[in-house]
Amino acid sequence: MDVIVVENLVKKYKDVLAVNGVSFTVRKGEIFALLGPNGAGKTTTIHIIATLLKPTSGRVIVEGYDAVKEPGKVRRLIGIVFQEPSLDQQLTAYDNMYIHGRLYGYSGNELRKRILELLEFVDLKEYAFKQVKHFSGGMKRRLEIARGLLTNPDILILDEPTIGLDPQSRARVWEYVRKLKNDLGMTILMTTHYLDEADELADRIAIMDHGRIIAMGTSLELKNMLGSDVIYLKLSKQAPESLCREFNGVKDCRLLEDGLIELVVENANKVLPEVMKLVMEKGYEIREVSYRKPSLNEVFLHLTGRELRDSLEASSPPRGRWHR
Amino acid sequence: MRRVNLSPLIAMVYRQVKRWFSARSRLVSTVLNPLVWIIFLGLGWGSVFSASGFKGALPGIPTPPGLSISDLVQKYFNTIFGGVDYLTFMVSGMASMTVFLASFIGGISVIWDKQFGYLKETLVAPASRKLVIAGRILGDAIVTTVQGLIVILLGFIIASGLRIAGVGIALIYLFLLAITFSSLGVVIALKLSSVEGFQMIVNLLTMPLMFMSGVFYPFTTMPSWMQVIALYNPLSYAVHAVRYWLTGADVGLSPMTPLNDLLVLAAGATILLLTAGFAFEKTSIEE
Ligand SMILES: Nc1ncnc2c1ncn2[C@@H]1O[C@H](COP(=O)(O)OP(=O)(O)OP(=O)(O)O)[C@@H](O)[C@H]1O
Ligand SMILES: [Mg+2]
Repeated sequence: MDVIVVENLVKKYKDVLAVNGVSFTVRKGEIFALLGPNGAGKTTTIHIIATLLKPTSGRVIVEGYDAVKEPGKVRRLIGIVFQEPSLDQQLTAYDNMYIHGRLYGYSGNELRKRILELLEFVDLKEYAFKQVKHFSGGMKRRLEIARGLLTNPDILILDEPTIGLDPQSRARVWEYVRKLKNDLGMTILMTTHYLDEADELADRIAIMDHGRIIAMGTSLELKNMLGSDVIYLKLSKQAPESLCREFNGVKDCRLLEDGLIELVVENANKVLPEVMKLVMEKGYEIREVSYRKPSLNEVFLHLTGRELRDSLEASSPPRGRWHR
Repeated sequence: MRRVNLSPLIAMVYRQVKRWFSARSRLVSTVLNPLVWIIFLGLGWGSVFSASGFKGALPGIPTPPGLSISDLVQKYFNTIFGGVDYLTFMVSGMASMTVFLASFIGGISVIWDKQFGYLKETLVAPASRKLVIAGRILGDAIVTTVQGLIVILLGFIIASGLRIAGVGIALIYLFLLAITFSSLGVVIALKLSSVEGFQMIVNLLTMPLMFMSGVFYPFTTMPSWMQVIALYNPLSYAVHAVRYWLTGADVGLSPMTPLNDLLVLAAGATILLLTAGFAFEKTSIEE
């Protein structure tokens, strides 16, 4: 059953086309990840699903309710952890949870019990009555996850759940996410720009770039788009397209940026000597050779010509959008 | 779990009150500030506007038979300050001023919420936006009314002419005043994104509103243009009524009576509260 249906979603800010015709569905009980570099449009997509933004065009249906026409219904169904912190730092962990519960219409002993249960789930019970401003980044993140779960939502939305966390805190968050799926069968929609995170957690992944989904499937399906192995050759000068036609036993050959050639092959060990010999015969100097079992990074590189890691370094995440 | 209708409102009242308790420095400054006004302005001018220290005769002016000059001067001051000494006059206006300043500037927390991401937390909840913002304003109003009460209690130590019996009624006016200016602060803050911009607007408005409200000097001696502005200033009505209930001094412009004051403040509070409700409903995270 499809819990979230997104159809041809478009969102234009004043002069930026942040989301450009995105469609996907999230099935009940799965973890679905939107994977992409900074500015891909992940947060914008999620904010539209969470009814915080109105789409320029397109539709979002959450459990049968249209996010634009019946935002109140959709809001009841989801719990969300925003990319940027959204806690009241002046208050205690308990009070942050309590106000959240109250906002959603809960009260009384049961609310109190559930708050303590969830704080225990994210290992924050002993800090329940401490001010959030003294918390570490990881503790704040865990508190936000607990808060998102407080009202027992059908769907949990996590926007970059481990951004800026140390490895231990990341592992902990991953563990909670897995537990939620396995033990409670919760449907989880998450975004990330970490390949390993998508690989590790998601049942299905949509790779997003420049406001579009450029590939979608399970991690394995995405990797199988390439072949068994991928070879990268870095040449001294840019080669012409015709060079590609010279290779034998190569499934796919493409010229990427900076003199980089990508070859998709069955078995790199076997063809590599022959490939290198051929290139040198053609008069190119080889600067670098590498081959990898395809990972999501190779998939991204294959689809966009850029390394996902590079695109991450190229632009810092936009922060404080309320400032002009 | 039980579903409670007013729950989102309670959530926000709870939040504002809790935040106030956690920011004790705010409490100190809200009490310290009026205290500075009271001590330097109240005590300083208090002895100017008093004839008790004046014994002799004024050169060149003959003493009227049967009256001393100091009696005469004192009678004059008593008339313009409504029968109380200047210190009592000013202290009884100071509670209104404190509530006014604290509730108006309180809107700044809406901008903090935008910047610290908490606004999203309130916008994504399936609660009525009107209830959410009303809760926030109500919470701020409760807190600032308590601050006003603290200033009144301090006033009892400093000034001699205050009556304990009027405190309860005075608080009702202060509360309505707080709702009025909290709402106005929130409405302005919802339109802005920077703390500096908000502070600039609020500072620009508070000074004139403060001086044209009868806190420091009576309406009756104001120039007529100032009186006109004072009539449109909600703070004037609170100052008049609170002073009336705390001291018995009835120094106002012609439409100001304790009942009219109540009606004006109630109307102002209602209109601005509704405006805040509509403004918050239209709020989105998009600029
Ligand atoms: N409120 C806004 N006004 C104008 N442009 C915006 C706004 N929010 C986002 N954008 C732009 O829209 C594009 C998509 O942004 P979005 O935050 O959705 O990307 P993202 O995939 O979540 O990236 P990140 O990894 O930085 O979180 C970016 O170019 C961004 O600068
Ligand atoms: Mg984002």
